[in-house]
Amino acid sequence: MGDKVTIGQYDKNSGGTKRLVLTGMIFALALILTIVENSFPPLPLPVPGVKFGLSNIAVMYALFFLSKGQAYAIAILKAVFVLAVRGLIAALLSFCGGIFSLTLMLIVLLLFKDKVSYLAISVSGAVAHNIGQFVAITFIYTGFYLLAYLPLLLVSGVIAGIVTATLLRFIIPALKRLG
Amino acid sequence: MVSDGKAGMKFFKRTDLIVITAIMAAGLAIWLVYGLIYGSRAVKAEIYFDNEPVETVSLEKGRERTFSIRQKPEVVFKVDNDGNIGFIESDCPDKICVKTGKLHMVGQSAACLPNGVVLRIVPAEGRSGDEPDIIIGSGGK
Repeated sequence: MGDKVTIGQYDKNSGGTKRLVLTGMIFALALILTIVENSFPPLPLPVPGVKFGLSNIAVMYALFFLSKGQAYAIAILKAVFVLAVRGLIAALLSFCGGIFSLTLMLIVLLLFKDKVSYLAISVSGAVAHNIGQFVAITFIYTGFYLLAYLPLLLVSGVIAGIVTATLLRFIIPALKRLG
Repeated sequence: MVSDGKAGMKFFKRTDLIVITAIMAAGLAIWLVYGLIYGSRAVKAEIYFDNEPVETVSLEKGRERTFSIRQKPEVVFKVDNDGNIGFIESDCPDKICVKTGKLHMVGQSAACLPNGVVLRIVPAEGRSGDEPDIIIGSGGK
């Protein structure tokens, strides 16, 4: 018990219960971050729905310190929650954005191992989230031109990625006490 | 202040600046190229209600007017003298459609989802992209 263990090691050392509880708590954190974000006034931008995606902090934390399985579980649970609260289209957008984002972060992480920084992963995740959502929108409302909005998606993704990575950095010490 | 969880992984590296600059530059490049290709092309606007095209508006310069569609008189559009079109009034709570502002380039769109009204800019002649073109251009030819 007195050993110095990080959360990542805990994951391997202890059984499924701890993992279940941790996943649940991080998922709860994702929901709280979403609610906090929605309570802010919308950003004064010409395109609706551009936001920081604070709940991505929880997904990134799961990816970095728990496991990729748990990160995917949280992304999917988030979409299920959106389905219950905001309906099918919003859920589809959440699902596509979340899975796109997580998959790209995972690829970057696997390709560059620990040579890559949190910030770079966060930025690529946020950009992928935007693009994933927009691809979903082009399928739902046919005939949107992705190219016309790609610049905005890239730039807003970079900014959102920097914001979430910075916040994650300050939240990590608190999250570590979870273990 | 943070001791990193993943061994050796840093919060920020100098190469991140390159990544960020590259993404921003790609965005800028796409924006410029897109503007170059479509910026001066003749366009028309299509208005959709509940996913059905209900109106096609020609956007020539110097013909300022405001109008609404029959299905939603609460939603008012305006075409200005430069041939831009946009929502100017709507009874929806968030007014996102009005905040979207004026559109003039192919591919731009504005939507008032609470009212089910979507405004899209498409090329003036020929087909409007990858879907069947139901309305033939009404641009007084």
